[in-house]
Amino acid sequence: MSEGKVKSRRRLRVCLAVVIGVFGVFGIRLFQIQGLDASAYAAMAVEAGTAKSTVPAPRGAILDRNGVELASSVDGLTLTADPKMTAAVAPQIARILRQKLGSRIDYFDMIDKLRTPDSRFVYLVRDVPAWTANKALKAISDAKLTGVFSEKETLRTYPGGKLAANLLGYINGAGKGVAGVEQKYDKTLTGTDGSSTYEVSPTGQRIPMADSTVTEMVPGGSVKTTIDRDLQWYADQRLADAVRESSSDFGLAITMDTKTCQIVQMSQAPTFDADTGTGMVDSNTVSRGVQNVYEPGSTMKTITMAALADQGKVASDTPIVVPSGMTIDKFPIGDYWEHGTLHLTAAGVIAKSSNLGTIVAAQQMSNQTMYDYFRRFGFGQMSGVNLPGESDGILKNGKDWTKANHATISFGQGISVTAMQMVRAVGAIANAGKMCEPSVVSSAGGADGEKAEIPSKPGKRVVSKDAAATVTRMMEAVTAPDGTAPAASIKGYRVAGKTGTAWRVDPATGRYIRGQNTVSFMGFAPADNPRFLTYIVLDKPYSNAGGGSTAAPVFHDIMSMALERFGVAPSGAKNPKVDQTW
Amino acid sequence: MSGQIASAAASFQRMAANPGLLPETAKSAGMRLVRPVRSRARKAPFVVVILTVLSIGLVGLIVMSTILQAQSFEAEALNRRAAVLDTQQQALAREVDQLQSPANVARRAIQFGMVPNTNPAFLRLADGKVLGKPEAAKPGSSNIRSVTP
Repeated sequence: MSEGKVKSRRRLRVCLAVVIGVFGVFGIRLFQIQGLDASAYAAMAVEAGTAKSTVPAPRGAILDRNGVELASSVDGLTLTADPKMTAAVAPQIARILRQKLGSRIDYFDMIDKLRTPDSRFVYLVRDVPAWTANKALKAISDAKLTGVFSEKETLRTYPGGKLAANLLGYINGAGKGVAGVEQKYDKTLTGTDGSSTYEVSPTGQRIPMADSTVTEMVPGGSVKTTIDRDLQWYADQRLADAVRESSSDFGLAITMDTKTCQIVQMSQAPTFDADTGTGMVDSNTVSRGVQNVYEPGSTMKTITMAALADQGKVASDTPIVVPSGMTIDKFPIGDYWEHGTLHLTAAGVIAKSSNLGTIVAAQQMSNQTMYDYFRRFGFGQMSGVNLPGESDGILKNGKDWTKANHATISFGQGISVTAMQMVRAVGAIANAGKMCEPSVVSSAGGADGEKAEIPSKPGKRVVSKDAAATVTRMMEAVTAPDGTAPAASIKGYRVAGKTGTAWRVDPATGRYIRGQNTVSFMGFAPADNPRFLTYIVLDKPYSNAGGGSTAAPVFHDIMSMALERFGVAPSGAKNPKVDQTW
Repeated sequence: MSGQIASAAASFQRMAANPGLLPETAKSAGMRLVRPVRSRARKAPFVVVILTVLSIGLVGLIVMSTILQAQSFEAEALNRRAAVLDTQQQALAREVDQLQSPANVARRAIQFGMVPNTNPAFLRLADGKVLGKPEAAKPGSSNIRSVTP
């Protein structure tokens, strides 16, 4: 073999070794990338070339009975900043934000945030409506300032402000309903966020015709309530005025359509404004209509009389001898006015609101019978209105009643109720003896909230039609000129009602507090063909306020407005003359 | 005959081993040079077609991607504009909501000296009968004198 041939063969071998070596390295690397860390590398590659964005789904609206929005969602922005970029120009930016966003911005607090040391990200202000936030961002960029950014979100607004706030409820920072309809129908109202992923160039420009995946967002469904916005506003306003004038702790006003048991208005004062976030304290945000229990007082006499009338034990002209006073179980009981022995009819007992007369009449039934009737009227059980946090109220079992219990429960003391329970129970008298469960939502789902009807349960008979008519006649005597609440009468209409002035229980000691009352008025109209029932409660008004003088005028105004708005014309029938004495 | 063939084969072998001998031995073997076979198809049109197709494709691709790119900018600008208009619509809708809210209407009405009526009465169009007892709402008799914001 020649020397040249040996040389070239060696060269070939070296080259081969080098090539094998190089390809070996490639192979190992390939195995590492494809075999060992495949998913991590694939993810990195996708990460580098794609952009993902979430499309927040707006929360469904809450509508009134005519489809007017009571709560809705709009685009909102959260403003953020990079303090490294903004520290030097903090005062200028803070001034612009204060100018454009107003009182929600604290100038000095903003400067502190914009100068946060060792940070590249701070939240400046959350939940700003997009149109306001955009103005601020534009002003900042016009002033050639940089470092302020924004994040998209959806924002809950309540166009009516305080309107029906306790019924609607509100949502927390995470967008979840935490009270009222917002909580109860959270699932319906919440939508599903969408997302879109697409390929982008290194400069962030979307690559046309490249792969992209889009998950459509599903907006939340709406909820249609039974509330009438204009009536609700009027009642809110009227009640707030009454609470202020009587310096009450709180007030409640509920109006129900007695034919359908739909609540058309439910007001509470004082209340809160979830739109601006004012007054958000527990005593305002609690929905007292369903969560607050109290002793109702004399309005309960209507239920006692209905129970007696159903058993045929009382009619409106039944003569009752009312003593001047009574002592039961060492517990002295009197009427709110001093009197000797009176000869009142049953209607007179209701019209004059005599505790003693009611006790005398109620003694015709046993503990168990009376307890059974009260249970039938729904006391001690939730009203079925389907709002969160509802209370059962307190009705002691009939077996454990003392004589004093029997006596006081007949006129509404020693029993605790919610306003909604009272509305449901007296609603049965207005609805000819049939009781149904009150409702605040008529349908839910879909853009207009009409996808699925919320079925109302059929009413069940609690007392006979005649018994209901008897009690209605007695209650009409209350609004007569010689009754306890002539202020509740509405010209041209027949109005049935009942006042209540109950002693207040101190929640700490469980004892009555002298001079502190819960005054109320419960009534329905037109008495000859009831359509609406309105219940007014004022808690702890000035000391000589009474149901007839303080609550009845509020009832008159709200009821008049309801009759007018719903076009309920009077039948023209005269008020029946019922004898109050014999 | 077979001897001739054998000698031609032998001369061909020789010729292969030594090309310099070709002309004489080939001639002697009865062989002659022929013109190389030329394809009848001409190359130029084919190349032109291919180049044209390629360049049309390339230009088309460039044009299309440029158009798409331009359109993607336009789409983005339009999207931005839609978003701006959307927020503007929301702002205006909100203003309308506020203006037609019962509180605002009531406030304006009270400013004009209007009084809410609390004596409902109806006129039945069929026979012109008045239902209820109509009464003029007097200033001061109303229970809503101002609107609490």
